[in-house]
Amino acid sequence: MGKTVMIVDDSLVMRTILRGIMREQGYSVVAEAASGIETMKQLHEHSPDLITLDIILPDVNGLNLLDAILAIRPQSKVVVCSSISQEAVIHKALEHGAHAFLQKPFTPEKVAAALENLER
Amino acid sequence: MDISQYRDLFISESRGHIQAITGLIVRLEDNGYDAGCVDDLFRHAHSLKGMAATMEINAVANLAHRMEDLLSPVRSGECPFSPLIADLLLEGSDTLSGMIDAVENGAAELPEPHDLLQRLSAFDPTAASASGSPDSGRPASSPADGIPPVFSSPLKQPKAGHSFRHSDSFKSVRVRTETLDRLINITGELITTRHRLADVTSGMDAPHLQEPLKQLTVLIRELRDEVFQARMLPFSFVAERFPRLVRDLARAQGKEIALRIKGREIELDRGILEEIAEPLVHILRNAVDHGMETPAERTATGKRAAGEITITVSRDKDHVEIAVADDGRGMSPHLLAEQAVAQGLIGRNEADALTPREKLLLTCLPGFSTAKTISDISGRGVGMDAVKNTVQSLSGSLAIESEPGSGSRIVLRLPVTVSIIPALLVRCGALTVALPVNAVSRTIELKRSDLFDDNGHLAFMLDNATIPLKSLHAAFGQKPSRGTEGLLPVVISEVGGAPVGIMTDALMGQQEIFVKPLGTPLSRLRGITGGAVTGDGSIVFVADLGAIG
Repeated sequence: MGKTVMIVDDSLVMRTILRGIMREQGYSVVAEAASGIETMKQLHEHSPDLITLDIILPDVNGLNLLDAILAIRPQSKVVVCSSISQEAVIHKALEHGAHAFLQKPFTPEKVAAALENLER
Repeated sequence: MDISQYRDLFISESRGHIQAITGLIVRLEDNGYDAGCVDDLFRHAHSLKGMAATMEINAVANLAHRMEDLLSPVRSGECPFSPLIADLLLEGSDTLSGMIDAVENGAAELPEPHDLLQRLSAFDPTAASASGSPDSGRPASSPADGIPPVFSSPLKQPKAGHSFRHSDSFKSVRVRTETLDRLINITGELITTRHRLADVTSGMDAPHLQEPLKQLTVLIRELRDEVFQARMLPFSFVAERFPRLVRDLARAQGKEIALRIKGREIELDRGILEEIAEPLVHILRNAVDHGMETPAERTATGKRAAGEITITVSRDKDHVEIAVADDGRGMSPHLLAEQAVAQGLIGRNEADALTPREKLLLTCLPGFSTAKTISDISGRGVGMDAVKNTVQSLSGSLAIESEPGSGSRIVLRLPVTVSIIPALLVRCGALTVALPVNAVSRTIELKRSDLFDDNGHLAFMLDNATIPLKSLHAAFGQKPSRGTEGLLPVVISEVGGAPVGIMTDALMGQQEIFVKPLGTPLSRLRGITGGAVTGDGSIVFVADLGAIG
């Protein structure tokens, strides 16, 4: 069975694009969430191998959400996503235990590189 | 990767962000500093930037990025949210909006707004904070990590009323508006077909047909309700741009006006909302231009310097009421009537017979304008006839209340949905005419002896009031049936503001009809809003009672 991923991003456009790229990378997308509360709800039902987490969400502090995800799904790998100008936050996320970092804009190459980082 | 396939999605999501950005800026200006608002503003700019960069629409990404940068010192407390920042951000959101329009229109490459980008990056927060008001500044404590603190333990379940916003992104899909229009069309045709089926079978002794027909009726009603529901949008759909409009107009005239909107969550049919947006802009514009005094005038009359305009939306069964109230100088019914007489729009006798409310409605007469001489009493002629026409074509009604010195209130009463409406069918000469039930307040039967001459017009008494009697025949070019000894069936309508009796030949009963627009040249006819096919296959015209009365 292939690997599973959950996509967390408040933008439908970004989720749709990332969904396409992840499928090309051989992942099956088992869940998506647009907010912190949705993420927590979905994680009650799913236990994905990978979670891509947009660090800026409408309802929660992304770092707090990251802590929560790592606490209830310690076996999931978390890739933190953000745009440029948020380097400080990314740095903090990695300190908090995120496994890799993916900078927007998403391209298939960047996603492949981030996934490769994860394997190491 | 072919990203052009995401273009439509990108356009609609971008518009959502830009609209939110504009709304938040105006809110911050109105209500002062609010950390949550600034964070939201930042997040919308940030999301737009990430999305546009992924879509390789760099001009949008760059501008959103600079706007985000401008907000950083505000978030960190280095500078207050000054009017200067608001202006720059609003200019930014307008430019973004234009860019998205260009993307939609297929522009291959967007030009960078160099001048604006330059001004955004040259902005000096320290210089601005010196001129900003101290109370608009951010509190001293602020998170150092650059993202908003929201809740300390994300594992705790949120309490009721918590700031969590549930997203329905997985339970909803985007549907093109044309699809919704087609759905209502098909539903309307289904209703007409069912009426025909019922008509055809009514004379038959076919009990086995009656049961499925009854079932069909129930199902079509359910379908109709669901289709209606799918077409509903909250009032906020059109109201988002009003705060900005009022702000800009007020600023240009040196006035201070706060706009409050109550009931923005109340839903109306998309078609009605689209129709009503422009009239509401007219009303708001009039309120700001003519209704509201300058701060100096207000203070001189003992009012607060800042005026207030309130839009209140409320639902009452099949109707929605939209009231626009201001606390400005108000209008004088007496002076308005004098002006209408001076302009030759009404006669002296006519003017004297009007109630104060009717006098206020004179502002809706085509051609009514308040010349400079009486601008002091606040003329509202600009576009009010267009407002009234739109409201009436939607089978709604318009009322104006005003108190000189303390303000005006304009109330639009509108049906929640259009297209499929219950109608009263009446006979008028050789024609069957449909009258929207919500435009009819009651029906009565009069004896010829009940009628009398009131200044050259036919009238009758009802509840101790003199009601003018109009004829549907004149409007439809039909000959009234003369010489009948019996009673005259009369429909009472208050669509025009005051009750009017409308004479018909016979009342034929109520039916749900599917109103279709008439093509040109029929659509130019006054007094008709559309056409419909009834159960027996005949075509009926839908009367615009406001235009007749």
